[in-house]
Amino acid sequence: MPGAMTQLQVVYALLLRETKTRFGAHKLGYLWSVVQPLLWIGMFAGFYYAFGRMAPPGMSVVAFLATGIIPYSLFRETAGRSLSAIEANKGLLFYPQVRPLDLVAARVILEGVTQLLVLAVIMGSVALYEGSLRIESAIEVIVGLGLASALGASFGLVCCGLSVYSRSVEQLYPALLRPLFWLSAVFHPVESLPKVFRDILVLNPIIHCIELVRDGWFPGYDARHVDAWYPVQWILGLSFLGLSLERTARRRLELS
Amino acid sequence: MIELHNVTKAYATHTGSNVVLDSVSVSFAPRTNVGVLGKNGAGKSTLLRVIAGTEQPDVGTVTRRGTVSWPIGFSGGFNGSLSGEENCRFVARIYGQEVDEVVGFTMDFAELGEYFYMPVKTYSSGMRARLAFGLSMAIEFDAYLVDEVTAVGDARFQQKCRQAFQERSGRSAVIIVSHQLTTIRDYCEHCAVLNRGQLHYFSSIDEARRMYEAA
Repeated sequence: MPGAMTQLQVVYALLLRETKTRFGAHKLGYLWSVVQPLLWIGMFAGFYYAFGRMAPPGMSVVAFLATGIIPYSLFRETAGRSLSAIEANKGLLFYPQVRPLDLVAARVILEGVTQLLVLAVIMGSVALYEGSLRIESAIEVIVGLGLASALGASFGLVCCGLSVYSRSVEQLYPALLRPLFWLSAVFHPVESLPKVFRDILVLNPIIHCIELVRDGWFPGYDARHVDAWYPVQWILGLSFLGLSLERTARRRLELS
Repeated sequence: MIELHNVTKAYATHTGSNVVLDSVSVSFAPRTNVGVLGKNGAGKSTLLRVIAGTEQPDVGTVTRRGTVSWPIGFSGGFNGSLSGEENCRFVARIYGQEVDEVVGFTMDFAELGEYFYMPVKTYSSGMRARLAFGLSMAIEFDAYLVDEVTAVGDARFQQKCRQAFQERSGRSAVIIVSHQLTTIRDYCEHCAVLNRGQLHYFSSIDEARRMYEAA
């Protein structure tokens, strides 16, 4: 399959290049994308301690927050970087073998690796502090993170396709995402929420990703409302829409 | 061997649809240098991008046997914030080439000196063109697609380009688009004229000239 090989070559070359442009623009560019989620988690952990709030039994505050914030960041950052992937690298479409989707794929991979790094740093520190590391089901954690990343990529792809038609998508995008953070049960296990809220919140596919990560990480975590297929359906739907938009948008891209 | 079969390409403009290629069918033989003459705005660059596969035709098919370069010219394809060297590495990778060889060859050919290691956005357009040329010469293609070579560098650099193409003439074909007959005379055996969406192919340059001058 020479076609698949070429595409792998292209994505690999793009990946190296993305890393370089991120490093290059600001010397601390890449470091910042690692430090930022660390700061978030640190800040919220500070609030927890200051107000005497506890994490659910059997979990440390930092670990509990990290398992919420990292899958969410993975979703948000992947979506954001996918959204701008084509606009930022339009010049590369000049090479016939570089396809718009390759530009998105390279960014999705880079973002995934970055967030995994953050997760490893935090959970490693927690494990060192507590003196032990227990993960109930690594597979479930990976599935949860993978779904969060795929959800971000497919959502970003839809926004990216739409932004070719209307610039206002890029302005609306942050306004759309801000409330989503508070609707993703980053600070609560879904089980602990009142039923009225819970029934509404479980419509948000990100929640299922976060709950999967928590269920996989903490022994005895109660994730009875989780449905891994639910975010998969979103991903399939959004991808279908995003890819169709990409098809029609490609012709418009050529104009510029 | 590159074949265009019934290729139509149009752009939407404010005044309606502008048909740049209108049912063009043409066949470019291997190892034959062909010039395409066309006035400004005739659609020469579009033709080249369609041949390369950078753009898809609205209707019709393009068949390529053998490797075909990207449209070599002065615009596009480089990231301004990366250096010439880094851009070369990227292109070498996407074409599956030995990276260090490509970088070494391009550095020698393009003669950019220290600039080779500086961001491409600091280059003059002549320097960009030299980089693009050197880079494309570093990779063996069966067909090189060249957009308006006339403006690339000084006389000495042009001589160098001609030589590089001559060395390859037994192995590769060059397709050059230009609005100047002299350039095409220098490089090509056959010549086509692009006018109002139609492409007329001639195996003699003089015939093409008559048609071009009459248009």
